[in-house]
Amino acid sequence: MKESVSRVCKFVGLPGALIIVLCAALTWLIGCATNKQSGEVAAGTTGGATGKSGAQLWAENCIRCHNIRSPSSYSPAQWEVVMMHMRVRANLTPEEHKKILEFLKSGS
Amino acid sequence: MRMRNHVVVSRTIIRAFGVAIFLIVPLLATAQEPSPSPSSDYVSRAEYDKLKAEHDAMKQELEALKAQIGELAKAPVPSPAAAPAEGKQVVTEMPSEAATEELRQEIDTLKTQVKETFPGTTKFLLAGYGTAGFTARSGEDPFFDAAFNALFLWKLTDRLFFEGEMELEFENEETTINLEVAQAAYLLNDYMTIGVGRFLNPMDFFVERQHMNWVNKLPDKPLAVYDGLFPESELGGQLRGVIPIGPTKLEYAAFVANAPGLITESDDFSEIGMLDFDNDANFGGHVAVGGHLGFIPIPQLEVGYGIQRSKVGPRDQAVVNVLQSVDFNYVSDSALLKGLINLRAQWGWSHVGDFVYDPDGSQGFGPLEFNNNRNGGYAQLSYRPTHIDNDYIKNFEGVFRYDRLNQLHTPVGFDEQRWTFGLNYWLTPSTVIKAAYEVDDKNGGARDQNAFLMQAAVGF
Repeated sequence: MKESVSRVCKFVGLPGALIIVLCAALTWLIGCATNKQSGEVAAGTTGGATGKSGAQLWAENCIRCHNIRSPSSYSPAQWEVVMMHMRVRANLTPEEHKKILEFLKSGS
Repeated sequence: MRMRNHVVVSRTIIRAFGVAIFLIVPLLATAQEPSPSPSSDYVSRAEYDKLKAEHDAMKQELEALKAQIGELAKAPVPSPAAAPAEGKQVVTEMPSEAATEELRQEIDTLKTQVKETFPGTTKFLLAGYGTAGFTARSGEDPFFDAAFNALFLWKLTDRLFFEGEMELEFENEETTINLEVAQAAYLLNDYMTIGVGRFLNPMDFFVERQHMNWVNKLPDKPLAVYDGLFPESELGGQLRGVIPIGPTKLEYAAFVANAPGLITESDDFSEIGMLDFDNDANFGGHVAVGGHLGFIPIPQLEVGYGIQRSKVGPRDQAVVNVLQSVDFNYVSDSALLKGLINLRAQWGWSHVGDFVYDPDGSQGFGPLEFNNNRNGGYAQLSYRPTHIDNDYIKNFEGVFRYDRLNQLHTPVGFDEQRWTFGLNYWLTPSTVIKAAYEVDDKNGGARDQNAFLMQAAVGF
Protein backbone atom coordinates (compact mmCIF):
# COMPACT_ATOMS: atom_id res chain seq x y z
CA MET A 1 0.00 0.00 0.00
CA LYS A 2 2.78 2.39 1.00
CA GLU A 3 4.65 1.53 -2.17
CA SER A 4 1.59 2.27 -4.28
CA VAL A 5 1.05 5.62 -2.57
CA SER A 6 4.70 6.60 -2.93
CA ARG A 7 4.65 5.49 -6.58
CA VAL A 8 1.59 7.66 -7.28
CA CYS A 9 3.16 10.60 -5.42
CA LYS A 10 6.38 10.17 -7.39
CA PHE A 11 4.43 10.10 -10.65
CA VAL A 12 2.11 13.04 -10.12
CA GLY A 13 4.25 15.05 -7.70
CA LEU A 14 3.26 16.33 -4.30
CA PRO A 15 0.89 19.11 -5.44
CA GLY A 16 -0.88 16.79 -7.84
CA ALA A 17 -1.16 14.09 -5.19
CA LEU A 18 -2.58 16.62 -2.73
CA ILE A 19 -5.21 17.73 -5.23
CA ILE A 20 -6.17 14.16 -6.01
CA VAL A 21 -6.38 13.20 -2.34
CA LEU A 22 -8.36 16.34 -1.55
CA CYS A 23 -10.77 15.80 -4.41
CA ALA A 24 -11.18 12.14 -3.47
CA ALA A 25 -11.87 13.04 0.18
CA LEU A 26 -14.35 15.74 -0.80
CA THR A 27 -15.98 13.42 -3.26
CA TRP A 28 -16.39 10.76 -0.60
CA LEU A 29 -17.75 13.20 1.96
CA ILE A 30 -20.14 14.75 -0.50
CA GLY A 31 -21.20 11.35 -1.78
CA CYS A 32 -22.15 10.32 1.75
CA ALA A 33 -23.92 13.60 2.38
CA THR A 34 -25.78 13.35 -0.91
CA ASN A 35 -27.02 9.85 -0.15
CA LYS A 36 -28.20 10.80 3.33
CA GLN A 37 -29.79 14.06 2.33
CA SER A 38 -31.03 13.28 -1.14
CA GLY A 39 -34.56 14.20 -0.07
CA GLU A 40 -33.38 17.55 1.25
CA VAL A 41 -31.35 18.27 -1.83
CA ALA A 42 -34.23 17.45 -4.09
CA ALA A 43 -36.39 19.76 -2.05
CA GLY A 44 -33.88 22.55 -2.65
CA THR A 45 -32.17 23.23 0.66
CA THR A 46 -28.62 23.52 -0.66
CA GLY A 47 -26.69 26.10 1.34
CA GLY A 48 -25.41 28.81 -1.03
CA ALA A 49 -28.62 29.54 -2.90
CA THR A 50 -31.11 29.17 -0.07
CA GLY A 51 -33.50 32.07 0.14
CA LYS A 52 -32.41 33.62 -3.14
CA SER A 53 -34.76 33.93 -6.05
CA GLY A 54 -34.05 32.61 -9.51
CA ALA A 55 -33.69 36.16 -10.80
CA GLN A 56 -31.12 37.00 -8.13
CA LEU A 57 -29.12 33.83 -8.78
CA TRP A 58 -29.32 34.49 -12.53
CA ALA A 59 -27.84 37.95 -12.03
CA GLU A 60 -25.15 36.83 -9.58
CA ASN A 61 -23.87 33.78 -11.39
CA CYS A 62 -24.07 34.75 -15.06
CA ILE A 63 -22.47 38.17 -14.67
CA ARG A 64 -19.39 36.62 -13.07
CA CYS A 65 -18.27 35.58 -16.58
CA HIS A 66 -20.37 37.45 -19.14
CA ASN A 67 -23.25 39.88 -19.66
CA ILE A 68 -26.56 38.46 -18.59
CA ARG A 69 -28.85 37.47 -21.43
CA SER A 70 -32.54 38.20 -21.42
CA PRO A 71 -34.87 35.28 -20.66
CA SER A 72 -36.46 35.97 -24.05
CA SER A 73 -33.18 35.09 -25.80
CA TYR A 74 -34.15 31.43 -25.94
CA SER A 75 -37.27 29.28 -25.76
CA PRO A 76 -37.96 27.24 -22.59
CA ALA A 77 -36.67 24.07 -24.29
CA GLN A 78 -33.50 25.87 -25.42
CA TRP A 79 -32.92 27.23 -21.93
CA GLU A 80 -32.94 23.68 -20.61
CA VAL A 81 -30.02 22.83 -22.88
CA VAL A 82 -28.18 26.08 -22.23
CA MET A 83 -28.55 25.73 -18.47
CA MET A 84 -27.28 22.17 -18.47
CA HIS A 85 -24.25 23.42 -20.39
CA MET A 86 -23.76 26.19 -17.83
CA ARG A 87 -24.27 23.84 -14.92
CA VAL A 88 -21.24 21.85 -16.10
CA ARG A 89 -19.09 24.74 -17.34
CA ALA A 90 -19.79 27.26 -14.57
CA ASN A 91 -20.17 24.74 -11.75
CA LEU A 92 -23.70 25.65 -10.71
CA THR A 93 -25.23 23.89 -7.73
CA PRO A 94 -28.42 21.88 -8.35
CA GLU A 95 -30.52 24.50 -6.59
CA GLU A 96 -28.97 27.36 -8.54
CA HIS A 97 -29.55 25.42 -11.74
CA LYS A 98 -33.17 24.69 -10.87
CA LYS A 99 -34.10 28.20 -9.75
CA ILE A 100 -32.34 29.99 -12.60
CA LEU A 101 -33.90 27.64 -15.15
CA GLU A 102 -37.38 28.18 -13.72
CA PHE A 103 -36.86 31.93 -13.85
CA LEU A 104 -35.59 31.90 -17.43
CA LYS A 105 -38.35 29.59 -18.63
CA SER A 106 -41.02 31.70 -16.99
CA GLY A 107 -39.73 34.79 -18.76
CA SER A 108 -39.01 33.30 -22.17
CA MET B 1 -81.03 25.33 -29.03
CA ARG B 2 -80.58 24.37 -25.35
CA MET B 3 -80.52 20.73 -26.38
CA ARG B 4 -77.84 21.44 -28.95
CA ASN B 5 -75.65 23.26 -26.42
CA HIS B 6 -75.95 20.36 -24.01
CA VAL B 7 -74.91 18.00 -26.73
CA VAL B 8 -71.86 20.16 -27.54
CA VAL B 9 -70.88 20.46 -23.86
CA SER B 10 -71.31 16.74 -23.28
CA ARG B 11 -69.18 16.03 -26.31
CA THR B 12 -66.56 18.40 -25.00
CA ILE B 13 -66.53 16.73 -21.59
CA ILE B 14 -66.24 13.29 -23.16
CA ARG B 15 -63.34 14.50 -25.34
CA ALA B 16 -61.56 16.07 -22.40
CA PHE B 17 -61.89 12.96 -20.28
CA GLY B 18 -60.80 10.81 -23.19
CA VAL B 19 -57.67 12.84 -23.65
CA ALA B 20 -57.08 12.89 -19.90
CA ILE B 21 -57.22 9.10 -19.79
CA PHE B 22 -54.95 9.01 -22.80
CA LEU B 23 -52.42 11.13 -20.90
CA ILE B 24 -52.67 9.44 -17.53
CA VAL B 25 -52.57 5.81 -18.70
CA PRO B 26 -49.12 6.10 -20.31
CA LEU B 27 -47.86 7.78 -17.16
CA LEU B 28 -49.14 4.96 -15.00
CA ALA B 29 -47.73 2.45 -17.43
CA THR B 30 -44.40 4.28 -17.41
CA ALA B 31 -44.37 4.22 -13.62
CA GLN B 32 -44.93 0.48 -13.66
CA GLU B 33 -42.38 -0.29 -16.33
CA PRO B 34 -39.07 -1.52 -14.95
CA SER B 35 -36.16 0.93 -15.11
CA PRO B 36 -37.02 3.28 -17.97
CA SER B 37 -34.09 5.49 -16.99
CA PRO B 38 -30.85 4.89 -18.86
CA SER B 39 -29.03 6.35 -15.92
CA SER B 40 -29.74 3.50 -13.52
CA ASP B 41 -31.89 0.49 -12.76
CA TYR B 42 -34.08 2.37 -10.35
CA VAL B 43 -36.01 5.62 -10.19
CA SER B 44 -34.00 8.09 -8.19
CA ARG B 45 -35.53 10.50 -5.67
CA ALA B 46 -34.93 13.38 -8.02
CA GLU B 47 -36.59 11.58 -10.94
CA TYR B 48 -39.50 10.54 -8.74
CA ASP B 49 -39.95 14.09 -7.47
CA LYS B 50 -39.79 15.45 -10.98
CA LEU B 51 -42.41 13.03 -12.30
CA LYS B 52 -44.57 13.67 -9.25
CA ALA B 53 -44.37 17.40 -9.82
CA GLU B 54 -45.30 16.94 -13.46
CA HIS B 55 -48.16 14.68 -12.50
CA ASP B 56 -49.44 17.22 -9.99
CA ALA B 57 -49.15 19.97 -12.57
CA MET B 58 -51.13 17.90 -15.04
CA LYS B 59 -53.80 17.22 -12.46
CA GLN B 60 -54.10 20.92 -11.85
CA GLU B 61 -54.35 21.56 -15.57
CA LEU B 62 -57.11 18.96 -15.87
CA GLU B 63 -59.00 20.43 -12.92
CA ALA B 64 -58.76 23.83 -14.57
CA LEU B 65 -60.03 22.39 -17.83
CA LYS B 66 -62.92 20.71 -16.05
CA ALA B 67 -63.78 23.98 -14.37
CA GLN B 68 -63.75 25.73 -17.74
CA ILE B 69 -66.07 23.10 -19.20
CA GLY B 70 -68.36 23.43 -16.19
CA GLU B 71 -68.56 27.18 -16.67
CA LEU B 72 -69.38 26.72 -20.31
CA ALA B 73 -72.16 24.29 -19.40
CA LYS B 74 -73.60 26.74 -16.86
CA ALA B 75 -73.49 29.66 -19.24
CA PRO B 76 -76.97 31.19 -19.72
CA VAL B 77 -78.66 30.13 -22.89
CA PRO B 78 -80.29 32.97 -24.79
CA SER B 79 -84.07 32.88 -24.60
CA PRO B 80 -86.00 32.43 -27.80
CA ALA B 81 -87.19 36.02 -27.51
CA ALA B 82 -83.67 37.28 -27.24
CA ALA B 83 -82.39 34.83 -29.78
CA PRO B 84 -80.59 36.47 -32.67
CA ALA B 85 -81.65 36.11 -36.17
CA GLU B 86 -81.16 32.73 -37.81
CA GLY B 87 -78.01 33.79 -39.57
CA LYS B 88 -76.34 34.73 -36.27
CA GLN B 89 -76.86 31.39 -34.52
CA VAL B 90 -73.57 30.16 -35.87
CA VAL B 91 -71.84 32.99 -34.03
CA THR B 92 -73.45 31.87 -30.74
CA GLU B 93 -72.13 28.32 -31.22
CA MET B 94 -68.63 29.37 -32.22
CA PRO B 95 -67.21 29.92 -28.69
CA SER B 96 -67.90 26.28 -27.80
CA GLU B 97 -66.07 25.05 -30.88
CA ALA B 98 -63.24 27.51 -30.29
CA ALA B 99 -63.00 26.48 -26.66
CA THR B 100 -62.84 22.84 -27.69
CA GLU B 101 -60.09 23.60 -30.16
CA GLU B 102 -58.23 25.58 -27.51
CA LEU B 103 -58.54 22.69 -25.10
CA ARG B 104 -57.25 20.33 -27.73
CA GLN B 105 -54.24 22.55 -28.34
CA GLU B 106 -53.51 22.83 -24.63
CA ILE B 107 -53.71 19.08 -24.23
CA ASP B 108 -51.44 18.58 -27.23
CA THR B 109 -48.95 20.96 -25.61
CA LEU B 110 -49.16 19.00 -22.38
CA LYS B 111 -48.62 15.75 -24.27
CA THR B 112 -45.53 17.21 -25.91
CA GLN B 113 -44.19 18.41 -22.56
CA VAL B 114 -44.77 15.01 -20.98
CA LYS B 115 -43.04 13.28 -23.89
CA GLU B 116 -40.06 15.61 -23.54
CA THR B 117 -39.51 14.35 -20.01
CA PHE B 118 -39.11 10.74 -21.10
CA PRO B 119 -35.55 9.46 -20.64
CA GLY B 120 -33.56 9.39 -23.85
CA THR B 121 -35.25 12.42 -25.32
CA THR B 122 -32.64 14.49 -27.13
CA LYS B 123 -32.66 18.26 -26.95
CA PHE B 124 -30.28 19.97 -29.31
CA LEU B 125 -29.12 23.56 -29.55
CA LEU B 126 -26.76 25.21 -31.99
CA ALA B 127 -25.01 28.13 -30.33
CA GLY B 128 -21.62 29.79 -30.69
CA TYR B 129 -20.08 33.03 -31.75
CA GLY B 130 -18.69 34.83 -34.78
CA THR B 131 -15.94 37.39 -35.06
CA ALA B 132 -14.57 39.86 -37.58
CA GLY B 133 -11.39 41.74 -36.77
CA PHE B 134 -8.76 44.14 -38.00
CA THR B 135 -5.15 44.37 -36.83
CA ALA B 136 -2.58 47.05 -37.65
CA ARG B 137 0.67 46.20 -35.85
CA SER B 138 3.81 48.26 -36.35
CA GLY B 139 6.34 46.52 -38.56
CA GLU B 140 3.71 44.23 -40.08
CA ASP B 141 1.14 44.53 -42.86
CA PRO B 142 -2.33 45.29 -41.49
CA PHE B 143 -4.89 42.54 -42.02
CA PHE B 144 -8.50 41.56 -41.52
CA ASP B 145 -9.49 38.26 -40.01
CA ALA B 146 -12.70 36.39 -39.33
CA ALA B 147 -13.67 33.39 -37.27
CA PHE B 148 -16.75 31.34 -36.56
CA ASN B 149 -17.12 29.05 -33.59
CA ALA B 150 -20.06 26.68 -33.72
CA LEU B 151 -21.13 25.18 -30.44
CA PHE B 152 -23.25 22.04 -30.62
CA LEU B 153 -25.10 21.19 -27.43
CA TRP B 154 -27.11 18.06 -26.83
CA LYS B 155 -29.04 17.36 -23.64
CA LEU B 156 -29.54 13.63 -24.02
CA THR B 157 -31.11 13.01 -20.62
CA ASP B 158 -31.34 14.95 -17.38
CA ARG B 159 -27.89 13.60 -16.55
CA LEU B 160 -26.16 13.09 -19.89
CA PHE B 161 -24.90 15.98 -21.95
CA PHE B 162 -22.66 16.40 -24.98
CA GLU B 163 -20.97 19.52 -26.21
CA GLY B 164 -18.87 20.03 -29.30
CA GLU B 165 -17.16 23.19 -30.48
CA MET B 166 -15.68 23.66 -33.90
CA GLU B 167 -13.67 26.73 -34.83
CA LEU B 168 -13.36 27.90 -38.41
CA GLU B 169 -10.89 30.72 -38.77
CA PHE B 170 -9.80 32.71 -41.80
CA GLU B 171 -6.49 34.48 -41.45
CA ASN B 172 -3.50 35.11 -43.68
CA GLU B 173 -5.26 33.62 -46.73
CA GLU B 174 -5.88 30.34 -44.95
CA THR B 175 -8.94 28.76 -43.44
CA THR B 176 -8.26 26.53 -40.48
CA ILE B 177 -10.64 24.17 -38.72
CA ASN B 178 -10.05 23.18 -35.14
CA LEU B 179 -11.98 20.87 -32.90
CA GLU B 180 -11.90 22.84 -29.67
CA VAL B 181 -14.29 20.75 -27.61
CA ALA B 182 -15.87 17.30 -27.94
CA GLN B 183 -16.96 16.22 -24.50
CA ALA B 184 -19.59 13.90 -23.09
CA ALA B 185 -20.51 14.87 -19.54
CA TYR B 186 -22.49 12.80 -17.07
CA LEU B 187 -23.90 14.15 -13.80
CA LEU B 188 -22.99 11.44 -11.30
CA ASN B 189 -24.83 13.20 -8.50
CA ASP B 190 -25.64 16.76 -7.43
CA TYR B 191 -21.99 17.61 -6.85
CA MET B 192 -19.99 15.48 -9.26
CA THR B 193 -19.85 15.53 -13.04
CA ILE B 194 -17.59 13.30 -15.06
CA GLY B 195 -16.51 14.35 -18.53
CA VAL B 196 -14.54 12.54 -21.21
CA GLY B 197 -13.20 13.68 -24.55
CA ARG B 198 -11.65 16.97 -25.51
CA PHE B 199 -12.45 19.74 -23.05
CA LEU B 200 -11.25 23.26 -22.29
CA ASN B 201 -8.32 23.27 -19.90
CA PRO B 202 -9.86 23.43 -16.39
CA MET B 203 -6.66 24.71 -14.76
CA ASP B 204 -6.67 27.86 -16.89
CA PHE B 205 -9.52 30.16 -15.81
CA PHE B 206 -9.18 32.51 -18.79
CA VAL B 207 -9.39 29.68 -21.29
CA GLU B 208 -12.36 28.02 -19.67
CA ARG B 209 -14.46 31.08 -18.86
CA GLN B 210 -13.16 34.14 -20.70
CA HIS B 211 -11.61 33.31 -24.05
CA MET B 212 -14.82 33.47 -26.10
CA ASN B 213 -14.63 36.60 -28.22
CA TRP B 214 -18.01 37.96 -27.14
CA VAL B 215 -16.96 37.47 -23.50
CA ASN B 216 -13.33 38.64 -23.71
CA LYS B 217 -13.23 42.42 -23.24
CA LEU B 218 -10.45 43.21 -25.71
CA PRO B 219 -9.89 42.33 -29.37
CA ASP B 220 -6.86 40.18 -28.57
CA LYS B 221 -6.11 37.80 -25.74
CA PRO B 222 -3.62 38.22 -22.90
CA LEU B 223 -0.08 36.90 -23.12
CA ALA B 224 0.89 33.79 -21.19
CA VAL B 225 -2.56 32.51 -20.20
CA TYR B 226 -3.85 32.08 -23.76
CA ASP B 227 -1.75 30.41 -26.45
CA GLY B 228 1.26 30.80 -24.18
CA LEU B 229 2.14 28.82 -21.10
CA PHE B 230 -0.90 26.54 -20.93
CA PRO B 231 -2.77 24.22 -23.30
CA GLU B 232 -6.13 25.49 -24.50
CA SER B 233 -7.77 22.10 -24.33
CA GLU B 234 -7.07 18.71 -22.85
CA LEU B 235 -7.74 15.27 -24.30
CA GLY B 236 -8.72 12.85 -21.54
CA GLY B 237 -11.19 12.78 -18.68
CA GLN B 238 -12.19 15.10 -15.89
CA LEU B 239 -14.18 15.01 -12.69
CA ARG B 240 -15.63 18.33 -11.60
CA GLY B 241 -18.29 19.93 -9.49
CA VAL B 242 -19.15 22.42 -6.83
CA ILE B 243 -19.67 22.15 -3.10
CA PRO B 244 -21.81 24.76 -1.32
CA ILE B 245 -20.35 25.61 2.07
CA GLY B 246 -22.81 27.86 3.85
CA PRO B 247 -23.10 31.01 1.77
CA THR B 248 -19.83 30.21 -0.06
CA LYS B 249 -18.97 27.76 -2.80
CA LEU B 250 -15.95 25.59 -3.52
CA GLU B 251 -15.43 24.54 -7.13
CA TYR B 252 -13.17 21.69 -8.05
CA ALA B 253 -11.89 19.97 -11.17
CA ALA B 254 -9.42 17.12 -11.53
CA PHE B 255 -8.31 15.66 -14.83
CA VAL B 256 -6.01 13.20 -16.56
CA ALA B 257 -5.03 13.89 -20.14
CA ASN B 258 -2.39 13.45 -22.81
CA ALA B 259 0.79 15.21 -21.77
CA PRO B 260 2.20 18.05 -23.89
CA GLY B 261 5.09 17.29 -26.19
CA LEU B 262 8.54 18.82 -25.81
CA ILE B 263 9.93 20.58 -28.87
CA THR B 264 13.50 19.34 -29.24
CA GLU B 265 13.92 19.99 -32.96
CA SER B 266 12.76 22.99 -34.94
CA ASP B 267 13.85 25.29 -37.73
CA ASP B 268 13.00 28.14 -35.40
CA PHE B 269 15.53 28.13 -32.54
CA SER B 270 13.19 30.14 -30.30
CA GLU B 271 10.81 27.17 -30.20
CA ILE B 272 13.41 24.83 -28.69
CA GLY B 273 12.38 23.84 -25.18
CA MET B 274 8.78 24.97 -25.68
CA LEU B 275 5.81 22.71 -25.13
CA ASP B 276 3.75 21.32 -27.99
CA PHE B 277 0.15 21.39 -26.87
CA ASP B 278 -1.13 19.76 -30.06
CA ASN B 279 0.37 16.45 -29.02
CA ASP B 280 -2.77 14.48 -29.84
CA ALA B 281 -0.78 11.37 -30.76
CA ASN B 282 0.74 11.61 -27.27
CA PHE B 283 4.36 11.25 -28.43
CA GLY B 284 6.36 10.01 -25.46
CA GLY B 285 3.34 8.27 -23.97
CA HIS B 286 3.14 10.50 -20.90
CA VAL B 287 0.02 11.35 -18.93
CA ALA B 288 -0.74 14.76 -17.47
CA VAL B 289 -2.54 15.04 -14.16
CA GLY B 290 -4.01 18.31 -13.01
CA GLY B 291 -6.82 20.21 -11.44
CA HIS B 292 -8.27 23.48 -10.33
CA LEU B 293 -9.77 24.67 -7.07
CA GLY B 294 -11.92 27.78 -7.05
CA PHE B 295 -13.40 29.50 -4.02
CA ILE B 296 -16.35 31.89 -4.14
CA PRO B 297 -16.60 33.58 -0.71
CA ILE B 298 -19.14 36.13 -1.96
CA PRO B 299 -21.04 36.08 -5.25
CA GLN B 300 -18.90 38.88 -6.72
CA LEU B 301 -15.51 37.28 -6.02
CA GLU B 302 -13.81 34.12 -7.21
CA VAL B 303 -10.23 33.06 -6.53
CA GLY B 304 -8.60 29.92 -7.83
CA TYR B 305 -5.48 27.82 -8.20
CA GLY B 306 -4.74 25.40 -11.02
CA ILE B 307 -1.94 22.94 -11.58
CA GLN B 308 -0.90 20.39 -14.18
CA ARG B 309 2.00 17.99 -13.89
CA SER B 310 3.42 15.55 -16.38
CA LYS B 311 6.59 14.26 -17.91
CA VAL B 312 7.53 15.52 -21.34
CA GLY B 313 10.04 14.54 -24.00
CA PRO B 314 11.22 11.21 -25.37
CA ARG B 315 10.36 8.29 -23.10
CA ASP B 316 13.98 7.49 -22.17
CA GLN B 317 14.94 11.15 -21.54
CA ALA B 318 11.70 12.50 -20.10
CA VAL B 319 11.80 15.53 -17.82
CA VAL B 320 9.22 16.98 -15.49
CA ASN B 321 6.84 19.71 -16.59
CA VAL B 322 4.76 21.63 -14.04
CA LEU B 323 2.22 24.28 -14.99
CA GLN B 324 0.62 26.42 -12.29
CA SER B 325 -1.87 29.26 -12.32
CA VAL B 326 -3.56 31.54 -9.82
CA ASP B 327 -6.63 33.54 -10.78
CA PHE B 328 -8.65 36.37 -9.26
CA ASN B 329 -11.98 37.61 -10.56
CA TYR B 330 -14.16 40.33 -9.10
CA VAL B 331 -17.34 41.53 -10.80
CA SER B 332 -19.68 43.99 -9.13
CA ASP B 333 -22.63 46.05 -10.24
CA SER B 334 -21.88 49.11 -8.14
CA ALA B 335 -24.58 51.63 -7.30
CA LEU B 336 -21.91 53.95 -5.94
CA LEU B 337 -19.95 53.95 -9.20
CA LYS B 338 -23.15 53.71 -11.25
CA GLY B 339 -21.91 50.83 -13.29
CA LEU B 340 -20.42 47.43 -13.71
CA ILE B 341 -16.87 46.91 -12.44
CA ASN B 342 -14.95 43.97 -13.80
CA LEU B 343 -11.51 43.23 -12.33
CA ARG B 344 -9.65 40.13 -13.42
CA ALA B 345 -6.11 38.89 -12.95
CA GLN B 346 -4.28 35.66 -13.61
CA TRP B 347 -0.65 34.64 -13.38
CA GLY B 348 0.94 31.43 -14.55
CA TRP B 349 4.22 29.55 -14.32
CA SER B 350 5.64 26.89 -16.62
CA HIS B 351 8.59 24.75 -15.62
CA VAL B 352 10.34 22.24 -17.86
CA GLY B 353 13.20 20.35 -16.23
CA ASP B 354 16.82 20.20 -17.42
CA PHE B 355 17.08 18.68 -20.88
CA VAL B 356 19.98 18.36 -23.27
CA TYR B 357 18.92 19.69 -26.68
CA ASP B 358 20.81 18.82 -29.88
CA PRO B 359 23.13 16.43 -28.02
CA ASP B 360 25.17 15.52 -31.11
CA GLY B 361 25.30 19.06 -32.52
CA SER B 362 23.53 18.07 -35.73
CA GLN B 363 21.16 21.04 -35.46
CA GLY B 364 24.04 23.44 -35.12
CA PHE B 365 23.48 24.78 -31.64
CA GLY B 366 24.10 21.88 -29.27
CA PRO B 367 24.68 20.25 -27.04
CA LEU B 368 22.69 22.77 -25.06
CA GLU B 369 21.27 22.01 -21.61
CA PHE B 370 18.78 24.24 -19.85
CA ASN B 371 15.57 24.18 -17.87
CA ASN B 372 12.82 26.20 -19.46
CA ASN B 373 11.13 28.37 -16.85
CA ARG B 374 8.67 30.98 -18.00
CA ASN B 375 5.94 32.95 -16.31
CA GLY B 376 3.42 35.63 -17.12
CA GLY B 377 -0.15 36.79 -16.86
CA TYR B 378 -2.46 39.75 -16.93
CA ALA B 379 -4.52 42.18 -14.89
CA GLN B 380 -7.57 43.80 -16.45
CA LEU B 381 -10.06 46.41 -15.30
CA SER B 382 -13.20 47.39 -17.13
CA TYR B 383 -16.07 49.73 -16.33
CA ARG B 384 -19.45 50.10 -17.96
CA PRO B 385 -21.84 52.83 -16.72
CA THR B 386 -24.91 50.63 -16.73
CA HIS B 387 -26.78 52.83 -14.23
CA ILE B 388 -26.52 55.99 -16.32
CA ASP B 389 -29.92 56.92 -17.69
CA ASN B 390 -28.80 57.24 -21.27
CA ASP B 391 -29.27 54.41 -23.75
CA TYR B 392 -26.07 55.19 -25.62
CA ILE B 393 -23.65 56.02 -22.82
CA LYS B 394 -24.56 52.99 -20.77
CA ASN B 395 -23.59 50.71 -23.64
CA PHE B 396 -20.02 51.98 -23.71
CA GLU B 397 -17.36 50.16 -21.75
CA GLY B 398 -13.80 51.23 -21.03
CA VAL B 399 -11.12 48.57 -20.61
CA PHE B 400 -7.51 48.60 -19.47
CA ARG B 401 -5.24 45.57 -19.45
CA TYR B 402 -1.64 44.97 -18.49
CA ASP B 403 -0.17 41.67 -19.62
CA ARG B 404 3.33 40.28 -19.48
CA LEU B 405 5.34 37.22 -20.48
CA ASN B 406 8.79 36.63 -18.98
CA GLN B 407 11.01 34.41 -21.09
CA LEU B 408 14.32 36.29 -21.27
CA HIS B 409 16.39 33.31 -20.13
CA THR B 410 15.02 30.93 -22.74
CA PRO B 411 15.78 30.60 -26.45
CA VAL B 412 13.10 33.25 -27.07
CA GLY B 413 15.45 35.72 -25.42
CA PHE B 414 13.17 38.56 -24.35
CA ASP B 415 10.46 39.58 -21.91
CA GLU B 416 7.37 41.33 -23.22
CA GLN B 417 4.88 43.59 -21.51
CA ARG B 418 1.89 45.44 -22.98
CA TRP B 419 -0.51 48.15 -21.92
CA THR B 420 -3.81 47.97 -23.78
CA PHE B 421 -6.52 50.64 -23.73
CA GLY B 422 -9.87 49.65 -25.14
CA LEU B 423 -13.33 51.05 -25.75
CA ASN B 424 -16.30 48.77 -26.39
CA TYR B 425 -19.86 49.41 -27.47
CA TRP B 426 -22.43 46.75 -26.62
CA LEU B 427 -25.23 46.49 -29.19
CA THR B 428 -26.86 43.63 -27.29
CA PRO B 429 -25.73 41.66 -24.23
CA SER B 430 -23.80 39.34 -26.54
CA THR B 431 -22.89 41.62 -29.44
CA VAL B 432 -20.00 44.01 -29.08
CA ILE B 433 -17.79 46.26 -31.16
CA LYS B 434 -14.30 46.69 -29.69
CA ALA B 435 -11.48 49.07 -30.46
CA ALA B 436 -8.14 49.10 -28.67
CA TYR B 437 -4.65 50.53 -28.80
CA GLU B 438 -1.81 48.40 -27.49
CA VAL B 439 1.54 49.73 -26.32
CA ASP B 440 4.18 47.05 -26.55
CA ASP B 441 7.52 46.88 -24.74
CA LYS B 442 10.10 44.14 -25.19
CA ASN B 443 13.59 43.90 -23.74
CA GLY B 444 16.50 41.77 -24.93
CA GLY B 445 16.84 43.78 -28.12
CA ALA B 446 13.51 42.69 -29.58
CA ARG B 447 11.42 45.23 -31.51
CA ASP B 448 8.41 46.81 -29.84
CA GLN B 449 5.21 46.41 -31.82
CA ASN B 450 2.42 48.77 -30.91
CA ALA B 451 -0.91 47.86 -32.42
CA PHE B 452 -4.36 49.18 -33.27
CA LEU B 453 -7.01 46.51 -33.01
CA MET B 454 -10.70 46.32 -33.86
CA GLN B 455 -13.14 43.49 -33.49
CA ALA B 456 -16.85 42.83 -33.80
CA ALA B 457 -18.08 39.78 -31.92
CA VAL B 458 -21.52 38.20 -31.83
CA GLY B 459 -22.53 35.47 -29.41
CA PHE B 460 -25.67 33.49 -30.23
